[in-house]
Amino acid sequence: MSLRVEQSLSQLLHEAFVSLRTLGKRSVLALLGIVIGSSSVVALINIGHNAAVDAAMIFKDMGTDTLIAQFPAKRSGNLSMRAHLDLDAVRSAVPGIAHIGALSLFSGPIVFHGRTANANLVGTTPAIHEAMRLELREGRFLSPFDANETYAVIGDQVAQALGAPGDPLRLGDRVRIHDYLFLIVGILHNQPRAMLMPVQANESLFIPAEGMRRIYANPQIGNVIIRAAPGQDMERIARQAAVALQRQLTDHSVDITVPQQMIDGMTRQSRTFAYLLLALGAISLVGGGVGVMNVMLMNVSQRRREIGIRMALGARQRDIRNLFLLEAVTLTAVGALCGAVLGITAAWLYAWLSGWVFSLAAAALPLGVGSTLLVGLFFGIYPAVSASRLQPVEALRDE
Amino acid sequence: MTEHFAQPPLIALQGIGKRYQLAGQALSILDDVCLSITRGDSCGILGASGSGKSTLLNILGLLDLPNSGQYQFAGHDIFSATPDELAAIRNQQIGFVFQSFNLLPRLSALDNVALPLSYRGVSRHESVAQALRMLDQVGLAERAHHHPADLSGGQRQRVAIARALVGNPSVILADEPTGNLDSNTAQDIMDLLLTLNREQQVTLIIVTHDAQIAERLQRKILVRNGVVSEAGGL
Ligand SMILES: Nc1ncnc2c1ncn2[C@@H]1O[C@H](COP(=O)(O)OP(=O)(O)OP(=O)(O)O)[C@@H](O)[C@H]1O
Ligand SMILES: [Mg+2]
Repeated sequence: MSLRVEQSLSQLLHEAFVSLRTLGKRSVLALLGIVIGSSSVVALINIGHNAAVDAAMIFKDMGTDTLIAQFPAKRSGNLSMRAHLDLDAVRSAVPGIAHIGALSLFSGPIVFHGRTANANLVGTTPAIHEAMRLELREGRFLSPFDANETYAVIGDQVAQALGAPGDPLRLGDRVRIHDYLFLIVGILHNQPRAMLMPVQANESLFIPAEGMRRIYANPQIGNVIIRAAPGQDMERIARQAAVALQRQLTDHSVDITVPQQMIDGMTRQSRTFAYLLLALGAISLVGGGVGVMNVMLMNVSQRRREIGIRMALGARQRDIRNLFLLEAVTLTAVGALCGAVLGITAAWLYAWLSGWVFSLAAAALPLGVGSTLLVGLFFGIYPAVSASRLQPVEALRDE
Repeated sequence: MTEHFAQPPLIALQGIGKRYQLAGQALSILDDVCLSITRGDSCGILGASGSGKSTLLNILGLLDLPNSGQYQFAGHDIFSATPDELAAIRNQQIGFVFQSFNLLPRLSALDNVALPLSYRGVSRHESVAQALRMLDQVGLAERAHHHPADLSGGQRQRVAIARALVGNPSVILADEPTGNLDSNTAQDIMDLLLTLNREQQVTLIIVTHDAQIAERLQRKILVRNGVVSEAGGL
């Protein structure tokens, strides 16, 4: 008996394609489960990836060594917050604090050479420079000796807005807020947006906290920003700082945000969502797989005569098995591709709704499509093997 | 007789029996069949309906295994061959022609004819070229891309014959090949088969009810209640 070679690939694909075209509507239903399954897998991997990217962006913006304290009123009513806190007392009570500064926020117009821009007017203690990681392009930041001066440090965007071509805002210029002129002693670099910070440096004018009273009758401390020394337990510092701050307050409580907790919360939330999707994906993949098996079993029983003819023409058991296996896999491949498109769309939509930047996870497509094809292979094996086990004469007798 | 010594028979059956188990009862369909067919023979298998002609042909064509006896096909012992070896013999040595044509409805005439070659690992390009040549030989080259449903009965049977021949087999097994055709078309199909037998030395084994057809074949094998005998003889 002469040597036999395997059926050529082009021939196999040609046949699978011909029979797939004729499988028809029945297979569409089976495909539905496959599409949902594979799209959930693709979407879940992508959403997890984008959540991680987003969390990483928060890290980059402000670092996890920063704490932000707020002071919500204990009772309802118009209880005004204090204009001054003894931050040195807090610093000495809590070991591990590198910088601690307070902010009083107010917003209003700034006028320079007849041009007006709206900005956050931020009453600042000197340590805010380090606590908020502000970087100076020119000049210097406010120092403890400036407490009673009308000095100001200006954010990049405000400086741009007040300047004009040929007449930029420079160090030593004076800007007017209400009736007071403030001398610009420093201009900040363009700062990246810090999502958890109460104020964006780019849109702000920093003035000494003591000077706030000049432009606003009743300044109140809005936030305290703490930056820890490297390698500290942030939860402990947050706890102890809250106690130390609370000692100075009667009508307000202290609420400290630990960035790591927020990031953890966010990842927990998206992980819950991912698990839900994973379960949905797995269940519908199995459902789709059973659907594929059903279609293929029907396919095999309807084509018994064809199987008999093929065997009479010299098909071996493995040729018949490969024929039906390839059909099952081609069927699932169509579902997997539709699912991939749907899954990426879903992930994009989720990212868009959450306000994230969308980026495609490298693993999403290979994993999603690959797992779907495996499901098709797994559920295709039984019908294919049962087809190949038919006896030629029995298969041929079938009408 | 001298020819028999020079050339071993293509097909040699010894004491072949075939039984079916029906409702707990053993039903004997073929009983102690002894038969020897040489390359180039043309044989008719005749007999009443239900006598076991198709069963015999299926055994000859390795589609069915007998329960007892000995069967040598071109020197291969059928009982010790694996299913893969049987498939290989069918693919390379045997061409089937059926009463109901048995073309695959979803494939074009060309793809139907090319199919046996694909099970030999012949590339698609090469097998299509050979199939086209075969269709040309049965006079259907211009119908190559038609599907079986678009062909007449005679044309379908020609496609089936082209498919049986494309692998260059040593024997063609035909189960009532003209049973579904009108008498003119039947004549054409028989002419085609006999020409192949004469010109290419293809062994013909044809199951038929038609005495006229049987007359045109060299040997007449009679099946009666599962017992095989030869009429006239050579
Ligand atoms: N799978 C089977 N199980 C039981 N009996 C069977 C089976 N296949 C065939 N038979 C019986 O074997 C006998 C011979 O059948 P076969 O098909 O060989 O007859 P035939 O000579 O070809 O008849 P026809 O001329 O009508 O085609 C019949 O009685 C049939 O009922
Ligand atoms: Mg019959």
